[in-house]
Formats: sequence, structure tokens, C-alpha cells
Amino acid sequence: MSLKNRKTLQQSRKWSFFKAAVLILLVIYAVCLFLPLLWAFITAFKTQREFRLNIIGLPKNWTWNFSTIYNEFYVPVSTQTGATEYVNVMQMLINSMLYSVGCAFCGTLIPCTTAYLCARYNYRFSKLIYSVVIIVMALPIVGSLPAEISMAMSLGIYDKIWGLWLMKAHFLGIYFLVFFNMFRAMPAAYTEAARIDGAGNWMVMLKIIMPMAKNTFFTVMLINFITYWNDYQTPLVYLPSYPTLALGMYRMSYITINELSTVPMRMTAAIFMLIPTLALFACFHKRLLGNLTMGGVKG
Amino acid sequence: MNRIPNRHTHQKRRDLGFYMLVMAFPVIQFLVFYIGVNAKSIMMAFQRIDVANNTTTWTMDNIRNAFQMMTGNPQMLNILSVSLLSYLLTNGIGIPLALFFSYYIYKKMPLHGFFRVILFLPSIISAIVLATIYQFFVERAIPVAFNQFFDIKTEGLMVNPDSCYIFLVFYNVLIGFGTTVLMYSNAMSGISDELAGAAQIDGASLFREFWHVSLPMIFPTLMTFLVAGVATIFTNHFNLFSFFGENAPDGVQTYGYYLYVKTQGAKSIAEYPILSAMGILMTVVVVPVTMLVKQLLEKYGPSED
Repeated sequence: MSLKNRKTLQQSRKWSFFKAAVLILLVIYAVCLFLPLLWAFITAFKTQREFRLNIIGLPKNWTWNFSTIYNEFYVPVSTQTGATEYVNVMQMLINSMLYSVGCAFCGTLIPCTTAYLCARYNYRFSKLIYSVVIIVMALPIVGSLPAEISMAMSLGIYDKIWGLWLMKAHFLGIYFLVFFNMFRAMPAAYTEAARIDGAGNWMVMLKIIMPMAKNTFFTVMLINFITYWNDYQTPLVYLPSYPTLALGMYRMSYITINELSTVPMRMTAAIFMLIPTLALFACFHKRLLGNLTMGGVKG
Repeated sequence: MNRIPNRHTHQKRRDLGFYMLVMAFPVIQFLVFYIGVNAKSIMMAFQRIDVANNTTTWTMDNIRNAFQMMTGNPQMLNILSVSLLSYLLTNGIGIPLALFFSYYIYKKMPLHGFFRVILFLPSIISAIVLATIYQFFVERAIPVAFNQFFDIKTEGLMVNPDSCYIFLVFYNVLIGFGTTVLMYSNAMSGISDELAGAAQIDGASLFREFWHVSLPMIFPTLMTFLVAGVATIFTNHFNLFSFFGENAPDGVQTYGYYLYVKTQGAKSIAEYPILSAMGILMTVVVVPVTMLVKQLLEKYGPSED
């Protein structure tokens, strides 16, 4: 193809119908996503009186509702003695941190160490574990939630945050494969050199391999953290005495305190809940959007 | 002469000891929380639990009742049809759009970086937060905006059952792009430049290049999502719990939502066996369907060749 024809082709490809149509769809998508978020943000700074008179406009007086949410929002929980206790926002924040950080750490550490053993120790059992991961991913099992709750109750880990850490500390799932392929791709020369220098298995794993895996480990843990931070359905079922912020947000839908059951207050609580994840995303979006592939993290 | 083999054996023993020590927890966890839970689920499906007398008896009634409910009860049949329709609509609209968006990002077309971030954003926002915001936006802001800017009087989108379901499909498609677009565009970035360049030299339009080069090359990734997605017919909550709590209207409920609400709202463990029985019946259906979809896609899906 001549240079002239190639240039004409590239020009025609520059603004094809396909490209324009996808761009329009993406712009519509962005508007559909941002408009409600923007409306929620604006509404969070209105009083209920102003909201009634002015639902979609900017507030005439910007009202700081966040302190009301922080000071007056409580979630009632039943204690084992049958009494009712009230959990405030700070306690919900602590519960959220304990639940998210603990589950994210355990849910990353176990697939990482199991994948390391399977990738680097050539036993038959390693092949069995790898096959189990693949089979469990391919064979969906539906409706095991009642049995899981029953199991948690009989083991005495129901309604305990550390109990959920244990339950989430499994090696099943896609992240096992991410770690497995990454450990497989690591050159054996490092570990062999360390072994010649007298390093044992623990030393090789903790001082040689894990530092090389820390990027992938951190990315997977970050993704897990955001998932657990946003999760309200697991705490709703397993942690009735330890409401998290996300669960508090859900409970707010059924609140009967007049001052808090308004739309501006609900939007304030939504923005309050949104800030930590948006801040994390702003700091680590390149890492989160990076090439987390079946072979680990590129670059 | 014997020193080297002895050292070798000693090292092998130490390796095995280390391996067993580190592997012990993951294996016990798997045996308890996967094998144990699923075995318990199967057993519960055949049990009648009497909480008052603290007794458990074996019975086939749960399976029989669950089967009758799922095949004869009009409400459950409606839930089945909504679950299937929701699966088909969200995937039928969502997957092509996700592929087009991924291709747009992969080809680094205008504002691709911005759209990459925007498409991922719903994945990091809590479902309950997004649902709360959208619920009030379509209920309160949209009717006012329509009236104010277009002089059209309309009620909130979630009041009317028909517009409510359409809105739910729209919402689920809208928030479902994050991980898929990321995976598809990452898979596309692995396509060799020579291959895409050859299509351009042959005069292929962008769409033809997408259809004949990019799509076949990322088909293994797409297939993984399609195969894993079959189970969501029975597990997807369709974000109903975030919008309606335990009180979603009949016309929009899915199996995933129904099972979760019944389990979460159970007054005692005596209510679990029938739910476990329903889960087992669903698994019996979904496993062969998943395998069939996998085989069909492998046989008839586009090939990298």
C-alpha cells in the first residue's frame, strides 16, 4: 500500500462511525454516573426545608450536615443479654477498619502463601491444590449460605470479627492463580543462590520471595480492602453486634429519627461513606487500574 | 561418600516439614469452610430441625417441597423468569458495550484514560451508597428536572413497576463495567502490534479490526466471564437488597435475592433446610448448564487462528 493510500486510510479511521458511536455512548455513561453523584453532593449541603423548596438547584445556604450525622447517628444492636446497645459512627468506623483490614490481609496472605508452595514445591499435593482451585472456580455451588451460618454458629465464630477473618482466609479464587503464575515466573536463581548461602525455607520465603511479591500482594490486598469496606451484606448476616459503616448506611434507610431520615441527611451519609474509598482511589488508581493479570502486576 | 545423600535427604525432610507446616492452615480452612459447609448444606437439605425439642430427623420432604415450589408456585416461576430475563438483558446489553468500551480504551482513542477511570469508578463505590443515591435521584430529582426543563409531568421511575424494572436493568448494566472492561482492555493490549497493523494495511475499518482481530484474540478471557456468569442466574441479587431491603416488589425479585432475604431473615435454623434444598436443586441445574455453555463456546466460539 502506498504512503498516500495509508494516510487516507488512517484519516478515515480517525473519525469513523464506530468510533464516534462509542464515544457518544461513553459520554452518556459519564453523564449518567456523574449527574447523580453531583446531585447527591449538592443535596448533602441542604437543610430539609431547603430541599423541599429546591430539589435540584444549588443550595442558597450551604449547611454542614456531616457533624449531625457524626454526632447523632446510632445503630441499635441487641446484646446477648437481650438489652439494646447503641453503636455510634466512630465505633462503626473502627468495626469497618477491623473487618476490612483483617479480611483483606487474611484473604490475600493465604492465597499468596498457598500459591507460593504450589508453584515452588513440586509435590503431588501441590498439583492437587491447583486442580481444586480450578474445579471450584468452574463448578458453581448455589445456596450454601444457611449451612455457612450454621457452621459459624457451631464453631463459635458467629458474630465475631475475627471469625470472619478466619472464614475469608481461603486460597480459592482468581488471586491464587495471579500469585501462582507470578511465583512460577520468578527466576529460580535467586532462591538457589540463597540456599547455597545457607538460607532455610523460611528465610527464602520471607526475605527473598515475599519482597519480590510485595507489589502484587499490596494491589490484591487493596482490591480486597475496598471490597470488604463496601460490603454490608456479610456483616448484616454474620456480625449483628458489630455494625460497620456500610451496614450503618443500609440501616439508615429504616431509621425513624425525624432529623436523620431526610433526603439531605441520607445523601450526607452517602458522601461520608464515599470519601475514604474515593481518597484511596485517588491515591492508588494507577496501581488499581494497572495490569493486574494472571501473571501478576506488570510494570 | 554417604555425606552428600544424607544432607540431601535431610534437606528434603526439612522442605517437607516446612511445606506441611505452612500448608496446614489453608488445607484445614478449606476442609472446614468449603468441604464442611457444602457437606452440611447437602445434609441440611435432607433434615428436619426441631428447635424446641433440639432434635434432627432425616427426610426427603425438603427436596420434594423445594421442587414443588420451584416448579409449581406462580411466585417462584415468576422469580425464575425474572432471573433469566435479568441475566439475558444485563449480559446482552452489558457484554457488547463492555467490549466496545474496552476496544476504545485499548486503541487509545480520545479521553481513553479518563473513561478508563470512570468505567472503574462504580466498582470502588459501595453498592448501598450508589443505590441510595440513584434511588433518590430517580425518585425525587428526575421528575422535578423533567417538569422544570421539558414541562413533562412524570412520576418517580421506581414507583411504576415497569419503569422500575427497566431502571434496575439500566442500573445493573451501568455499574457492571469496572472489572470486565479492565480485563478485556488488558487482554487486548496483549495482541501483537503486527497483527493489528496487518489488518490496517489490508484496509480493515475499526469495527472490522475489532470483530476479526481483537474479539477472537481475547475470546478466552471473554469465555471465562461467560462461563462463570451462568451461575449468576441463581446467585445475582440484582442489587435489589440495596434498593428495597427485604421488601422488593414481586415483579423484580431474582433467585439470588430470594435466597439471601429468606436466609438473612430466618427466625431460627429450622428454616434453613428448605433453603439448602433449593440451593442443591439450583446447583443440580447450573452445573451441567455451565459445562454445556463451556463446551459450546469452545466448539463454536471464534478461534485465535
